[in-house]
Amino acid sequence: MLRTEEMLLNVGPQHPSTHGVLRIVVKIDGEVIREATPVIGYLHRGTEKLAEDLNYTQIIPYTDRMDYVSAMSNNYVLVHAVETMLKLEIPERAEYLRVITLELNRIASHLVWMGTYLLDIGALSPFLYAFQDREKILDLFNELCGARLTYNYMRVGGVKWDAPNGWLQKVEQFITMMEKRMKDYHQLITGNEIFIQRTRGVGVYSQEMAIQYALSGANLRVTGLQRDLRKEHPYSIYDRFQFDVPVGRHGDLYDKYLCRMNEVEESLKIVGQALASFPEKGRVLGKVPRVLRVPEGECYVSIESPRGELGCYLVSKGKDKPWRLKFRRPSFCNLQILPVLLRGENMANLVAILGGIDIVLGEVDC
Amino acid sequence: MFGLVKGLGLTLKNMVKPRVTYKYPHEPLEMPNRFRGIQYFIPELCIVCNQCVRICPTDCITLTGKKSDDPNVKGKVIDTYEINFEICILCDLCTEVCPTEAVVMTNHYELATYSRDDLYKDMEWLSQNNTLVRKENTLHPLPKKTGAKKA
Repeated sequence: MLRTEEMLLNVGPQHPSTHGVLRIVVKIDGEVIREATPVIGYLHRGTEKLAEDLNYTQIIPYTDRMDYVSAMSNNYVLVHAVETMLKLEIPERAEYLRVITLELNRIASHLVWMGTYLLDIGALSPFLYAFQDREKILDLFNELCGARLTYNYMRVGGVKWDAPNGWLQKVEQFITMMEKRMKDYHQLITGNEIFIQRTRGVGVYSQEMAIQYALSGANLRVTGLQRDLRKEHPYSIYDRFQFDVPVGRHGDLYDKYLCRMNEVEESLKIVGQALASFPEKGRVLGKVPRVLRVPEGECYVSIESPRGELGCYLVSKGKDKPWRLKFRRPSFCNLQILPVLLRGENMANLVAILGGIDIVLGEVDC
Repeated sequence: MFGLVKGLGLTLKNMVKPRVTYKYPHEPLEMPNRFRGIQYFIPELCIVCNQCVRICPTDCITLTGKKSDDPNVKGKVIDTYEINFEICILCDLCTEVCPTEAVVMTNHYELATYSRDDLYKDMEWLSQNNTLVRKENTLHPLPKKTGAKKA
């Protein structure tokens, strides 16, 4: 009889497949994971605490650095919270620009996920295709607001820049191109037998479990629950657009892939509709007081970020700075289920399951 | 097996497509006009209002003013102006609040250096950084005449 013993293995914090600085301490028995403990905090910068010393406009660049793969949604949730407290009216054109940028950013974010996820489980070429398309979105953003990732685009009361000449046409061209590209992706990945075998039935959890762990976004919808905050309590002007909420059935990794790819298609639909009804003229920044003093009180707003429910809880004491600011980061909440999913799994599935959750460490550690 | 072959079809199709990569750094990469790069500072326009210092989220700007040598000029003129690019995040807020557009963004983005001290850029350096300056600037349209004539 061969004597075996448990071994402690340290994955990360510097590991290419953790997409940042996540450390997982795994206790393994041969190839089987007995226990996994994620260790977080390597990228903690104390954004929430820093924000207490900054005025509302100054916080916006800090939010860029939370979920740096979809900075637009972080920008938006903060200004949305402040606007809700101030009861501001947002110009129509600004709302349209916001929706277009939010959805383009969702596409970019899902492309990054798709590319790196397949890279994690061993396919190189989808990564190159995905980044090629994402680059086009980043170029559009670069032209719009002067940066590829840290946009600092939204302002309380509107957006910073109006669309430059010809930008909307470029977005339209991108949409047409991307619709064709989606077919390519399905040709390349969706039917691939190796990919299906690798992901079908792996990392499964039930709907009850997903709800108990407060999962949101594609991680929740993959279990068949149709919950999307854009539909449930529409913010901005999302109630004007027709789109579906894709759901999965099995709650496994393959369904997560399908879910996110379908979300990209829905986002393309939304951008298409927004472009069609884009107001010809108008301001992009509403009437805002020079010094933003939010009235005393508190509020919680949440939006559907590419990763799930992104919330912002704001407590104000009537000053120009928040008294307390708290972000409900979907990556952080979704990561909580990881130890449970990993227990009893094969070591080789660690990266696949972790990648499936789609975390961004800037957001986990905040 | 069919899925694999189908996927390979796409790979083959891509083999004849043109290259998408850039030759940076061998060839400079051009940025769009709105790009937020290293600031250009125009000392003559500055009215020492301190707004850029106050709005900076990372406190990377330091400036001092002095009385003008010319007795006809009211108010202060700029004496020193420094930006610490170790902590500057190029967020564009300083150029947004500047009432006279004395500080504007350029399209330069190469800041890598061997020494940390090189990243402290003083007024002289910043005022010589005058190429590829961004054309459209602030959120609010400029006041008709530059300078603070209101008082």
